[in-house]
Amino acid sequence: MIRNYFITAWRSLRKRRTTSLINLLGLTIGFACAVLIYLFVSHHLGFDDFHTDADRIYRLNTDEETDYIEYEGSVPPGMANEIRNEFTFSEAVARYADWQEDVLAVERDGATQKYRETLAFVEPEFLEIFNFPVRGGTPDALEAPNLAFITEEVAMRLFGRRDAIGETFVLGNTETIRVAGILDPLPEKSLFDREILVSFPTLKVYSEWVTSDSFRGITSMLQTFVRVRPGTDPAAVEAQLAALPGKYRPDSKNIHHYRLQPLLDIHLGGLYPGGIQERILWIVSLIGFLVLLLACINFINITTAQSLNRSREVGVRKVLGCGRHQLLRQFLSEVFLLSLFALVAGLLTAWLALPYFNDITGLSLGFESLVNPGSILFMLGILVLVTLLAGFYPGVVLGRIPPVLALKRKLTQRDSGGLRTRQVLVTLQFTISIGLIIATLVVGRQLRYAVESDLGYDTSVLMLPIPSDLEPRQLESLKARLSNHSAISQVSSCFASPGAPNNIWGTSVRYNSRPEVEEFAIDVKVADRDYLGTFGLDLVAGRNFFEKRDTVDEVLVNRTFARMVGAESPEAVLGKEIAVGGKYVRGRIVGVVEDFHDSDFTSRINPVFIAPEPGNYGEFAVKLQAGRLREGIAHLEKTWTGAFPDLLFEYEFVDERVAQQYATETQFLTLGKLFSLLAIGIGCLGIYGLVSFFVAQKTKEIGIRKVLGGSVTDILALFTREFIGLVVVAGAIAIPLTAFLMESWLQNYQYRTPLEWWVFALATAAVLLITLAIIVLKGSKAAWSNPVKSLRTE
Amino acid sequence: MLLKLENIYKWVNQGGNRTFLLKHLDLEIDEGEFVSVMGPSGSGKSTLLNVIGLLDGFDEGDYYFQGEAVHQMRDKERARLQKEHIGFIFQAYHLIDELTVYENIETPLLYQKVKSSERKALVGDILDRFNIVGKKDLFPSQLSGGQQQLVGVARALISRPKILLADEPTGNLNSRQSREIMELFKELNREGMTIVQATHSEFNASYGTRILHLLDGSWTDTPEL
Ligand SMILES: Nc1ncnc2c1ncn2[C@@H]1O[C@H](COP(=O)(O)OP(=O)(O)O)[C@@H](O)[C@H]1O
Ligand SMILES: [Mg+2]
Repeated sequence: MIRNYFITAWRSLRKRRTTSLINLLGLTIGFACAVLIYLFVSHHLGFDDFHTDADRIYRLNTDEETDYIEYEGSVPPGMANEIRNEFTFSEAVARYADWQEDVLAVERDGATQKYRETLAFVEPEFLEIFNFPVRGGTPDALEAPNLAFITEEVAMRLFGRRDAIGETFVLGNTETIRVAGILDPLPEKSLFDREILVSFPTLKVYSEWVTSDSFRGITSMLQTFVRVRPGTDPAAVEAQLAALPGKYRPDSKNIHHYRLQPLLDIHLGGLYPGGIQERILWIVSLIGFLVLLLACINFINITTAQSLNRSREVGVRKVLGCGRHQLLRQFLSEVFLLSLFALVAGLLTAWLALPYFNDITGLSLGFESLVNPGSILFMLGILVLVTLLAGFYPGVVLGRIPPVLALKRKLTQRDSGGLRTRQVLVTLQFTISIGLIIATLVVGRQLRYAVESDLGYDTSVLMLPIPSDLEPRQLESLKARLSNHSAISQVSSCFASPGAPNNIWGTSVRYNSRPEVEEFAIDVKVADRDYLGTFGLDLVAGRNFFEKRDTVDEVLVNRTFARMVGAESPEAVLGKEIAVGGKYVRGRIVGVVEDFHDSDFTSRINPVFIAPEPGNYGEFAVKLQAGRLREGIAHLEKTWTGAFPDLLFEYEFVDERVAQQYATETQFLTLGKLFSLLAIGIGCLGIYGLVSFFVAQKTKEIGIRKVLGGSVTDILALFTREFIGLVVVAGAIAIPLTAFLMESWLQNYQYRTPLEWWVFALATAAVLLITLAIIVLKGSKAAWSNPVKSLRTE
Repeated sequence: MLLKLENIYKWVNQGGNRTFLLKHLDLEIDEGEFVSVMGPSGSGKSTLLNVIGLLDGFDEGDYYFQGEAVHQMRDKERARLQKEHIGFIFQAYHLIDELTVYENIETPLLYQKVKSSERKALVGDILDRFNIVGKKDLFPSQLSGGQQQLVGVARALISRPKILLADEPTGNLNSRQSREIMELFKELNREGMTIVQATHSEFNASYGTRILHLLDGSWTDTPEL
């Protein structure tokens, strides 16, 4: 019986070749999308679940409460030792300081090789808490400074052999580090992707504060992890930790609340910094489902419309004794067969698209991710789902047709599953398409707005890193040499660019000798007096500061600062005293700069303070003459390599940094665009199928109308009227729905583009136009055809 | 007696008017009869055959098939009765285009869940008997009208029905092909098969053992010519 079902299915698919192809194509796209999205989503699930006792591992986070709450994936550096010495809930606690990228120098075959590597500084307990299998060496080695564990891969890359214990490399031109242990390759689905783990005490040379026991502040580069004893209630731990702010930071207006975040929750973010927003996974899954749904709807529409043609076969079968269930089963086998082909084709498509998909998503998925048990189970699942979704309704409709009617061919649209159902489904397709277009447009506009808006400073500036061991005097002379070229407008030494910094450095501030510190944190910009000129920052009151070599006593603030301390005008803060970060900076305000975006558009403009501090400059900011970039950069490179022959010459433009802040959104947008396009493509296929079918059905009517003197436009209007109505209804549904969703998405941004009416109009019009184009394309052939011929064939 | 219709009415309501398709109709058919139902186009021949064949319902009256009251049966029983005891032959053959001759003939057996080996034997026998073994792998579109109808008859007979219902079986055939089909019917009848055919051809009707005349859904004694 089954064999018979499939033989029949195969033959009837071949017979209705055009529609089978349309259905196949639609389902193939649908399956390919579904599979890719599955890979994407499943990649992001189950991060770090391979650690034994993963459920007892937590990251220590801080909710920083000022006039609003900021959620940080970090605690003050002192927390780790505090827990070690004063509390009993922990089995092990470890600090992990992410150093991002640095230059490593290795002596090999008598020459110095340089590598850019990412690395982290870790305490020995890190390897105890987490299961990263150790090949050689004991974790205890990480107690002492200047030792490191590296992965096999890094060992191969740097030293050309796996067993590299005892080898050395020079980190950041200063510290010689010896390899004390080798790690197995790191699992891909982990928070931790640094393949060089340097012993924590080594960090003291670079950042003493991070290795200290301070509770003064927190930095996002430092994460602290704890494995609690079995049966420990995290809420109870949080309650114990609640005493610490009172003990160590009694005067701070920035109130810390320490939290335990389960390791397994970190990747999906939530309030705290993580790998990816769980919401994004949901949205992407939803889009995948919608695309697949569109393909199913196509199938249903085309098949039910066509059931008029199939009704005779159904009638005959019924007369021969076929029951409804058998009929349904037969039809489902047909759909199953088609879906199976589509799945195979979709899988192939997904495989071919993987490199491109990896590129967009930043993943490195391979063929093996397509054929693992989870993926195969998922595919079988959607195969069944699609078969039922697409096949059940048409099957039931076909089964319901009374055999006597079917044999007489006296069927109306109503017998074939209802015009109404088809209209609803087509409207649903249009709604999804319009909704996706609107969403893509809005997200795209917001990102463009964020990246291309005037941020209040010049983003064409080039940033050049300053080696950390440069003396202030050397720095001044290097800066002078860098500036000394006609293609260079101005150079400033600074800690970071005005916006898009890696770490926003916020700290407490006391203004005008008020008894209390202010209830907000201030964003510190350390820079020399050329900062304003280089970045085009405008003064709204007062003047720029003069350089002072030893203690800072002249500082600038921004307009927001003036507003937040309650000054009625920017002029009113001039000459007032200001103390930042306790004793860190004490000075007098000499000028107020116009506000600029010191972080991305999801945050408000912070109160900012600009002051010189020669020991703390990490970058040169270079403003080049417009149109003379190449010349200017060549000069910079020559000067730079002249000064530091051992260092790589590397630079970055500020606008690139600004764009990087929105990397996730950009990725998401690219995916969104791609899937919207596919969704629209599938929708078009469906409309094409339906129009072809109607044209075929109406050949006779068209013939008669032409004989009666109907023009081509009249006849095209015959087809268009129905579809235009559906698009309009779809627009009416999609617009308020997406308006609501996009409005709530835009709420994430403190600075956002308004939802413009034309975006909605454009999306609807686009769908309408595409539909009309298809109708004209397909319909005009029928409309131009010779009426005599079409009448004769009836 | 094989079947008995008593006072059958069938109607449709069109724009407030009730149009009768079958009106006050009685009919008794014994096993082994060959009944020809004649009447002009639109007189209700197909409707009657569909009612007899359980393809269509009726609005009033009693219908007994082998003594069982069809009018009191549930859908499922009726479907079983139709599947097991009734064979249909159509004017337009109504073969399934996607199936070969062999598969077309085999289909009713599939729906009756006959075992594969038995199916093979049964289909083989009938192909033999109708002399179409050589055509078994062809598709309907590759056959002439007469051959298609021959397959139609074979398919109707394969499940050994109690009665064969033929609705203008030769309507699409030329006279030589018509005669062949009628000769076949006669032979089947002689072997004991009960046959009811609808036709408006005097000549075809004359093959029957009894001729009935239908007009506007009722029997009439004086056939209009
Ligand atoms: N479902 C129906 N609705 C309305 N009229 C019908 C229906 N079925 C049949 N008829 C009408 O009933 C009459 C008898 O039809 P039919 O049995 O096909 O006649 P015959 O087979 O003798 O040509 C015809 O006038 C036909 O139009
Ligand atoms: Mg008829």
